[in-house]
Amino acid sequence: MTPLPSSPHLCFSFHSPVFLVPACLLLKMPVHCQRIEIQKLQQGDNLILGFSIGGGIDQDPGQNPFSEDKTDKGIYVTRITPGGPADVAGLMMGDKIMQVNGWDMTMVTHDRARKRLTKKNEGVVRLLVTRKSLEEVVKQSMNKYPRQ
Amino acid sequence: MFCRNQTARATVARGSALEMEIRRGKFRKSVFLDTSQQDSDIQKKIDHEIRMRDGACKLLAACSQREQALEAAKSLQTCSTRIMAYMSELQRMKEAQVMQKVTRRSSDAGPMDDRLPCKGKVAISDLRIPLMWKDTEYFKNKGELHRCAVFCLLQLGGEIFDTDMVIVDRTLTDICFDNTIVFKEASPGFELRVELYSCCSEDDYSAGSTPRKLASKLSSSLGRSAGKKLRAAMEPGPCSPISNGGASPLLLPVPSVAGPKYHLLAYTTLSLSNVQDSFRTHDLTISGNEECSYWLPLYGSMCCRLAAQPHCMTQQMISGRLKVKQCGGDPQSSTKVYAVLKGTSLFCYHQQEDVEANIEPAFTIAVNKETRIRASEKDPHSNVQNICISNQYGGEEVTHTLTTESREDTHRWMEAFWQHFYDMSQWKQCCDDLMKIELPSPRKPAPATPKQGSLYHEMVIESSDDLSSTVSDILARRMQELELRSQLGTSSTWMSVFEENSACCPHPCTSHLSGPRPCTLHQLSRSPVSPHRCPQLALLSSDASLTSDSDSHRSTSPCSHHHGWPEPSSNFSLLSSSPSHLRPRTLSLDAKLSTLRGRGYGGGGTFHCSCQPPPSSLLAPLPISSRSPRSQRSTQTTLSCSSSTSSNSSSNSEGSHSPAEGAPFSRPSMARRSLRNLRARLDPRNWLQSQV
Repeated sequence: MTPLPSSPHLCFSFHSPVFLVPACLLLKMPVHCQRIEIQKLQQGDNLILGFSIGGGIDQDPGQNPFSEDKTDKGIYVTRITPGGPADVAGLMMGDKIMQVNGWDMTMVTHDRARKRLTKKNEGVVRLLVTRKSLEEVVKQSMNKYPRQ
Repeated sequence: MFCRNQTARATVARGSALEMEIRRGKFRKSVFLDTSQQDSDIQKKIDHEIRMRDGACKLLAACSQREQALEAAKSLQTCSTRIMAYMSELQRMKEAQVMQKVTRRSSDAGPMDDRLPCKGKVAISDLRIPLMWKDTEYFKNKGELHRCAVFCLLQLGGEIFDTDMVIVDRTLTDICFDNTIVFKEASPGFELRVELYSCCSEDDYSAGSTPRKLASKLSSSLGRSAGKKLRAAMEPGPCSPISNGGASPLLLPVPSVAGPKYHLLAYTTLSLSNVQDSFRTHDLTISGNEECSYWLPLYGSMCCRLAAQPHCMTQQMISGRLKVKQCGGDPQSSTKVYAVLKGTSLFCYHQQEDVEANIEPAFTIAVNKETRIRASEKDPHSNVQNICISNQYGGEEVTHTLTTESREDTHRWMEAFWQHFYDMSQWKQCCDDLMKIELPSPRKPAPATPKQGSLYHEMVIESSDDLSSTVSDILARRMQELELRSQLGTSSTWMSVFEENSACCPHPCTSHLSGPRPCTLHQLSRSPVSPHRCPQLALLSSDASLTSDSDSHRSTSPCSHHHGWPEPSSNFSLLSSSPSHLRPRTLSLDAKLSTLRGRGYGGGGTFHCSCQPPPSSLLAPLPISSRSPRSQRSTQTTLSCSSSTSSNSSSNSEGSHSPAEGAPFSRPSMARRSLRNLRARLDPRNWLQSQV
């Protein structure tokens, strides 16, 4: 009889990605560079990616809650639409977008960044993103919100 | 110029902007003599533009942020140009009227049957102007980048449009304008003038004594000689820029407002010969030199796509009932059809209704440049002329004979064919094939934002016109209504989406229960890589969930809770499921579960909002830019529901396995506060976010 352990079964599939991340941590890499390919989704007249961005050289970098360096004017992912194309592709909130289809996004205005992502004739965007290591992220949170 | 015995009075509306301008001595009242319907249309337009210009001036004087000032200055420039164009149009109409009267008297009627070609739509899109930065620019370390704000002004006939403003600095290799501009009534001999205006974006505008002096100098000089010349004689079209230190030739004497001023950097004129269905490069004439503050190293050319759709290609030229006979066929067999002449074909339908019903025509006869049409000899019996259409189909000549119902009809059809051919000869390459013009998607009006003050924010919200965000906004508002009416479990169609999510949420939780794991692992899994993350509910739900959480703690978490967002790093919060609802909860990383376990919270699930019956009288209106912070929580998956401590694993499992049973997990105020913080920090009023 095939055992029907709902949890172990899912445990198996759900754990694989989780195991990848600690490996990264073990190597003590401060940032995690990743290439993410997102297929745009047709929604009526629009092609959407399913995430929101913040930042830009014309924005105030001090307002960016995701950046470590508060003078960083790069483009950050501020929200991921659940189940959307970006979500499916593995983009995460807090990722910093370095390139979109080869175009640099580290020194662009907010609007240029948005336009670079929403080109109507492109069905796929390939992003190069960097992600703060989760250990650092945890540390930050611990520091900011000390236990009562 | 005007007849002496004219006693008509100018009827400029009292209190109108135009009257004010006249009072200010800007326009001569005599210009408005003898108003007619056309004139009043133009006057209305001028009036409107003057008001817009005044508004822009006020905004310019009032705004403090640089982007706002630049945008306002751009509007000012556009309004001024439009006013000039309308003024000169009005002038021309006056002159034409007078000339008409004069010629009528002298009974010197000009050629009455001048054929006019049909008008058409002309669209210009994907403007790109390459820049050519010198190497030295890259190595200049003079602090801030030298930046300029640029935009394009496009003028065809009486229509003037501007593109969006783009900030340019040495990181850009091209200036790109993504707007598509469509001119609706262009004649084939159109001249589309493209002007690139730029303004240095670093000056201190508030304390500009020099700019003001320059402005007043310009205004006075333009007002006298050059201004009169412009007003009286200018055709809206190419005009030589007045070399006045690079000042714009179309600049009206503007009330001198301190602020950024745009200068003409380059211009070019496009006409029918430049029209093509693909991108072409055109030369730009550059005005100004390196010394100017608004200078940009332009490469000297401009790429764009200029397309034209003459009306003869898109509209029905003539339609009616005919009898068509193909030569070489049975002379008795002529088919009765309802024919429509459009574009390069004569479509013959069986019935008139087929045209609207979009049914395929019975057959189609080509009518293009190679076609020969002639009227045949009058049939002695019926006295009706036939029309013969001959085409060459692969070396063979095929002739169709059309018979109309009456002589007048024949005349009408011939006339229509002549006009059609004339149009095609005038529009030349535009009539070979229909060029596609992409209409810019209609801008959705920005949803009424409660506190948006910045013009810049409003601009961006408008232009993003993202359907999903609008939908999310609507959903958010509906959520609010639902909460307020405390309607439990009302499942609208979209709620089912949430339900699905919550169902799958428990699984990742359970996966962690198999063994105790160190804290870090769970935290790592806060945002698991792709598919294993629970599809999260969008935005809105989290807000409602927050409020529902707070129902036990009304006093401690007042309305402003929706501003609070935790740092994403700290967002290993997990809302455990409430006793009676399918809502897993997230707990703050820092939460001391042992102390909080006892308090039964009313469910603060990220994933199911409406289940909660919170009378959220404290639910403050959700900020409209809900796209940004709303689903922060959603990324905090229930993975971490197993969360933190293994000691809670059992209770966790209960909570996650059967959310219905509920676990006594509580929502610590810590999470709420941190949630609030993050959401406040992601407030688009402070930091702009865009949905893509």
